[in-house]
Amino acid sequence: MANTWGYGAMTNSLGDIQNAKAIIIFGANPAVNHPVGFGHFLKAKERNNAQIIVVDPRFTKTAAKADLYAQIRPGTDIPFMYGMLNIIFKNGWEDKKFINDRVYGVEDIRKEAAKWTPEKVADVTGVSVEKLMQITRVYAKSTPGTLIWAMGLTQHSIGSSNTRMAPILQLCLGNMGEEGGGTNILRGHDNVQGATDMCCLSHTLPGYYGLSAGSWKYFAKSWGVDYEWLAGRFKDKKMMSAKGFTLARWYAGVLAGKEGEDKIHNAGTNLKALFVMGNGITSISQQAKVKEALDALELIVLADPFVNEAAILTDKQDDVFILPAATQFETSGSVTATNRSAQWRYQVVEPMYESKPDHEIMFEFAKRLGFHKEYTKGMLIRENKTSFKFPEDATDEIARIIKTIGLTGWTSKRLKNHTDNWHMFDEVSLRGHGPMKGEYYGLPWPCWTETHSGSPVLYNIHRSVKEGGMGFRNRFGLEHDGQDLLAGKGSAPKASSNKDGYAEITAKNIESVLGITLSADEKKKIGKNWKVDTSNIIAEKCMEAGIAPYGNAKARAKVWTFPDQIPMHREPLHSPRQDLAKKYPSYKDKANHYRVDTQYISKQTEKDWSKEFPINLVTGRLVSMNGAGMENRASKYLAALDPEMFCDINPGLAANHGIRNGDMMWVHSPEGTKIKVKAKYSFSVPEDRVFLPFHYAGHFQGEDLSHKYPEGTKPYAVGESANTVTNYGYDIVTQIPETKGGLCRIEKA
Amino acid sequence: MKKYLFLFIASLFLASVAFAADSQIWDAMRIQNIFGYGQEESLKLGPLFTLLQSTYFVPIFLAILVGVPAVFLVHYLIIGPKVFSHDGQPIFAFTLFKRAIHLIAAIAFIVLIPTGLMMVFGKYLGGGTLIEFARHFHAIATVMFAISVVPMFLFWFIDMLPTFDDVKWMFILGGYLSKEIKEIPAGKFNAGQKMWFWIATLGGFVMIATGAVMFYQDFDFGIAKSLGVSQIDLLRASAIVHNVLAFAVMAFFFTHVYMAAIAIKGAIYSMITGYKEHEEVKYLHSTWYKKLKKEGKV
Amino acid sequence: MSEISRMKFYCDDDRCIECNGCSVACAEAHELPAGLSRRKVITLNEGIEGKEFSTSVACMHCTDAPCEQVCPVDCFYIREDGIVLHDKDVCIGCGYCLYACPFGAPQFPRDGAFGTKGAMDKCTMCAGGPLETNSVHERELYGQNRIAEGKVPMCAAMCSTKALIVGSSEEVSKIYRSRIASKGKGVQSAPYGWSKAYNS
Repeated sequence: MANTWGYGAMTNSLGDIQNAKAIIIFGANPAVNHPVGFGHFLKAKERNNAQIIVVDPRFTKTAAKADLYAQIRPGTDIPFMYGMLNIIFKNGWEDKKFINDRVYGVEDIRKEAAKWTPEKVADVTGVSVEKLMQITRVYAKSTPGTLIWAMGLTQHSIGSSNTRMAPILQLCLGNMGEEGGGTNILRGHDNVQGATDMCCLSHTLPGYYGLSAGSWKYFAKSWGVDYEWLAGRFKDKKMMSAKGFTLARWYAGVLAGKEGEDKIHNAGTNLKALFVMGNGITSISQQAKVKEALDALELIVLADPFVNEAAILTDKQDDVFILPAATQFETSGSVTATNRSAQWRYQVVEPMYESKPDHEIMFEFAKRLGFHKEYTKGMLIRENKTSFKFPEDATDEIARIIKTIGLTGWTSKRLKNHTDNWHMFDEVSLRGHGPMKGEYYGLPWPCWTETHSGSPVLYNIHRSVKEGGMGFRNRFGLEHDGQDLLAGKGSAPKASSNKDGYAEITAKNIESVLGITLSADEKKKIGKNWKVDTSNIIAEKCMEAGIAPYGNAKARAKVWTFPDQIPMHREPLHSPRQDLAKKYPSYKDKANHYRVDTQYISKQTEKDWSKEFPINLVTGRLVSMNGAGMENRASKYLAALDPEMFCDINPGLAANHGIRNGDMMWVHSPEGTKIKVKAKYSFSVPEDRVFLPFHYAGHFQGEDLSHKYPEGTKPYAVGESANTVTNYGYDIVTQIPETKGGLCRIEKA
Repeated sequence: MKKYLFLFIASLFLASVAFAADSQIWDAMRIQNIFGYGQEESLKLGPLFTLLQSTYFVPIFLAILVGVPAVFLVHYLIIGPKVFSHDGQPIFAFTLFKRAIHLIAAIAFIVLIPTGLMMVFGKYLGGGTLIEFARHFHAIATVMFAISVVPMFLFWFIDMLPTFDDVKWMFILGGYLSKEIKEIPAGKFNAGQKMWFWIATLGGFVMIATGAVMFYQDFDFGIAKSLGVSQIDLLRASAIVHNVLAFAVMAFFFTHVYMAAIAIKGAIYSMITGYKEHEEVKYLHSTWYKKLKKEGKV
Repeated sequence: MSEISRMKFYCDDDRCIECNGCSVACAEAHELPAGLSRRKVITLNEGIEGKEFSTSVACMHCTDAPCEQVCPVDCFYIREDGIVLHDKDVCIGCGYCLYACPFGAPQFPRDGAFGTKGAMDKCTMCAGGPLETNSVHERELYGQNRIAEGKVPMCAAMCSTKALIVGSSEEVSKIYRSRIASKGKGVQSAPYGWSKAYNS
C-alpha cells in the first residue's frame, strides 16, 4: 500500500466504518478477530443500511452477518477484483474525475481488467458469474464504500500484489479520502501498529526511514551517538544497510548449508543465537524446520510472561533461557491502535515476582553488553536532562525524531491527556469536544506538529491540513514515463495556499511551493527535507499555509519497481488447479530475499502437488485465542471454550474418508510433516478445503510434548500446531508466509 | 466381612471418580441438547414434567402415604388378621440364601421409601442438609437394593410366573375380604405376592435405571443415543417414570408389609426361620400344598 | 406488581457474533469453576448461509418460573423485580429444576460427596443470593451482587457488540425499539452538530 500512495496503514478508523454504505471484506474475519470493533460494522448495517459483503474461503462468523457472501478459492483475490473492475469499467461506474486528478496508471489496469471476464473469474475463483455481478453492482453503487482486509489477503506469495489490488479498486471507485470509505486493514494484535511504526522489522529503521547511510546518519545525529561508532557495530557498512532475516525465515539462517536447504547471504556465517521477546514462534509456518533450527542453535533466550512454546518444541536441553517478562498491566507506555491513534496505557500493578518489563530487560542487557549510555542517550536530548524517565522520555524522543509519519505531535503529555479524557470524543468521527475540542482521539498520525489535531481519515482533501486533511504522498518522483505524478489541478486539501499538486517539501522548494519567504535564521535551522527537519520549521510553515509536508501527488496503480508492475494473478505455490498454475505461474526464484534464496517457480513446478495433496488448507483464528495462544491457553475459561485442536471439515468430505465427527485424523503436508487433530464437522467449509485454527502448540506430529513444560507452567490446553503443516511459500516483496493458501492430504487416524 | 465392606466403599469412590470426569451435558453435547428444549426435535416432556411435579405428584404421594395404611387400618379393624394354628409340621419354604437376600432388600426398601418421601415432601421438612442426606442415603440404599434384587429376580423368576390360579385369586381378592378360612387358589406365591414381585424386580430395575440417570445426570450411558432422544428428554422421562412407578412401588410395599407382618399372624417368621405354618400353606397356598402332598413332602 | 418493571434479558441475534465474551465475563466475575457456564452462547445452523444465528442463553428469569414450581424443597424465590434466585443452603441438588427449565439454565457442579452433584448454580442476574448483600459469604456462594451496587450484570456490560441487553422490560424494549427505528436513519452524529460543518 505504501507503494501505491505513500503510507501503508489503515486509512480510516473503526468508528468511521459506521459512515459506510457498503463494506466489502476480503480475507478478514472481524466478528472473530475484532469482536468489539465489529460493533461498528453492525451499527453501519443497522443505521446506515450498509451492505456487508464478505469474500472468504469459508463461511465465517462475519459472513453470517453479511448481506452477500462469495466463497472464493484461496489465493484468487486478484482475479476477483479484476472481475469487479471489468464490470465497473464496462458500466462506467468508476469515478472518472478522481482517477483523472489523483491516480496514475489506470490505463494499464483497464487493459488487464478487460481480460478478466466474469466467466473467466468464475473458473479461477469458484465464484459464480451472478454472484460476482451482484456484489460488484452493490458495492460500486453504494458509496462511500470501505474495503476491509487482513491476513487472508496478505499471507500469500502474491500478498504484495493483493494489497495493491485492493487500493486500486478503491481508487477507481473514488472511495479514497472519504469518510466511510478507505482501505481499512485490520491489524491483529494490540499495538502491532505501534511495533510496525517503530519498525521492529529487519528492513528499515524506526519510522520507515529505510537503511540507507543517510537514514543512519539522521538517527545517529538524533540519538546523539557517533555515526562511525554505530557503523562499527556491524561487520561492514554493506551489512549495515542490508535487509536482515525475517520472522518468517530466520531458521533458514541456522539451517543453511544442510542438504536441501535454501542458501543464505549472511556475511559468510550462520545464525548462532536467537532472542525471542514477546513473539509466538509457533505462529510461523514450517514448524518442523523451526524445530530443527532451534535444536541447532547455540543459544536460545525467550522473554515472555508465559513459557514460550519454542522451549517445548526444541529438544535442546542446554543454553535455553526463559526470562519472565512482565505483562502489559505491569508497565506503562503508549500503544498505537489499528487506526493510527495512540493511547496511553497506565500501569495497574507492580511487576510480579521476578518478572521485568521488556524495557528493563533490554536496558539490563545493554548495561552488560556495554552500550547502555549510547542506548539511552536519545531520551535525554530533548530537555537536556541527565537522567531519563521511562516511558515518558522515550515517547518524547519518538515525537522528536520520527517525522516520516508525522509523530511530532505525539508527546507523552498530549497522549496522556487524551486517555484521561477519552469520554470526550465521538466514536464515529473521533472529534473531541469540551476541553478536547480541536483534537481527534489519539491524534491519529500524521500529527505534524505539537498542536496538530491528528489525521483520522488519510488522503482526505475535503479538510484542511490543519484539521487532518491531505492528498496522496509524493514519494515516487515527479513524473514517470512522461506523465505527471503530482495531483491534478484543484485537487489539493481545503484551505490550501497551493491549489494543485506539489512535490514533497524540502528546504529548497519550500518557499516556492508555499509562496512564502523564510528568514535568514530559519534558513539556517531548517532541515534538508521534511523527513529530517529537526527544527520542525517545515511542518509549522506548512500548517500555516495549509500544505501537507509530504507533498500532494497521484496515487500510482503501476509500481515500476515491483516484479509485477500492475498486480497480476499468480497461482499459489501449492495450487489445487495445476492447469491454472501453468497459465498463471509464480515468480522466478529470488536470490538474497532478506538474506535467503527463496524458491518460487521451482517449488511450484517441482511436481503436481495437487495429485497427492488435493485438499486446500485454510488457517485462521478463533475468537477465544490470540496468536500462538500461549496466554489464552493458560487462561482456564478461554481454554474451556476451545480445549482441543481441531479441524473444521465438511461432513461430505469426511464421509469420503470415513471420518466421523470427533474422530482423530491426520493432516499431511507437502513438506512431509503431519499432524493429528480432531475432526469437527462444519458446513462452513466446502468439500474441497479444510480449516485449522493456528493457536495451539505442545504436540508435534502426533507426539505430546507437554511433559517438557517446567513444573507448573503447562497451559490448560495443548494441541498440534497448524503451522507444522502449513506450506513453503513467501511473498515476493515482504516474505510473509503463504499460510492462507496451501495444500494438504487428510486421512483417518 | 471387613474386606467386603472395604471393597464396597472403595468401589463407590472409584465409581464417583469416573463419573466426576468431564461433563457432557454442559459442552458440545449441550448445544445439540438445546433442540430438546421445547422445540421441534423434543418430546415436549418439559411442560409435562413441570405440570406433574408442581401440581400432582405431591398430593398423590400424600394420598398413597395416608390412604393405603388407612385402608389397611380399616381392614384390620373390620376384618382383622388371619390366624392359623401352629399345629402341624412346618413346611420349609425359603433357604438361608433367599432369606438373606430378602433381608438386604428389605433394609434397602426401608431406607429407600422414607428417603424418597423425604425428598418428595422436602419443602415441608425444611429442605437443606437433612434432605440432602436423604438423597445420598437414597442413592446408597439403591446400591444395596441393586445387589439384592438381581439374585432375587433370578431365584424366584419361575415361581412368580402367572398361572390360572392367579385369575381366580384376583376375583376373590385372595380371600382377604372375609374372615372365612377356606382354601385359596394359589401356588407357592399368590397373585398378590406375584404382583409385588414383578413391581419390585422389573419395576425395581426401572427405578434403579431412572434413578441412576437422574443421579449421574450427564454421564453418557449411551442410552440417550441408542434411543434417539436428547439427554434432557431422557432425564425428564426418567423423572416422570421414577415418580409414577414410585406410586406403585410404595403402595405395594405398604401392602406387602401389612400382609407379611400384620394381616397374617406369624407370617413374618417364614422369612426368619424359613418355615411356613402347615395350616397357612394348606389354606392360603392350596395348590402348592396339594403339589407337595402329591410329591410326598408333607 | 406490574409486568413492565420486571428485569429481563434480551439477546439481539442480529448482533450476536458468538464471541463468548458474556460467558467468560460471567465466569470471571463470579469465579466459577471452569466446567460451569452460567451463560452460554449457542449457534444454530452453523455454516449455512442465511440460516446461521447465535444467541446468548442463561436463566431467563421467567415470570412463571417452572424451576420454582417443581422444586421439592422450595428453595427458589422470585424478587419483586422479577429476578429468580435460589437458596443454595436449602437446595438438595436433585435436578428437577433442570428438567423443568426450557433453557437448561440450572447447572450442577460435581462437588458433592463422592463426586455427586452439589447444590444447583445458575445465573443470578448478578443479584447475589439470600445471604447478606455484598457479604463475603454471599460472594463465595453466588458471585457478585452488582444489582445492589446499581451496576448492570457483567455479561451485558461486557458484550462486544451490545447484543445482550438487560434491564427492566421497559428499558430493554426501549433500547431495542430505538435500534430498529434507527434503521436507515444514518450515523449517530456528534451532539454538537459538527457533521454539518463539513461537506462529508
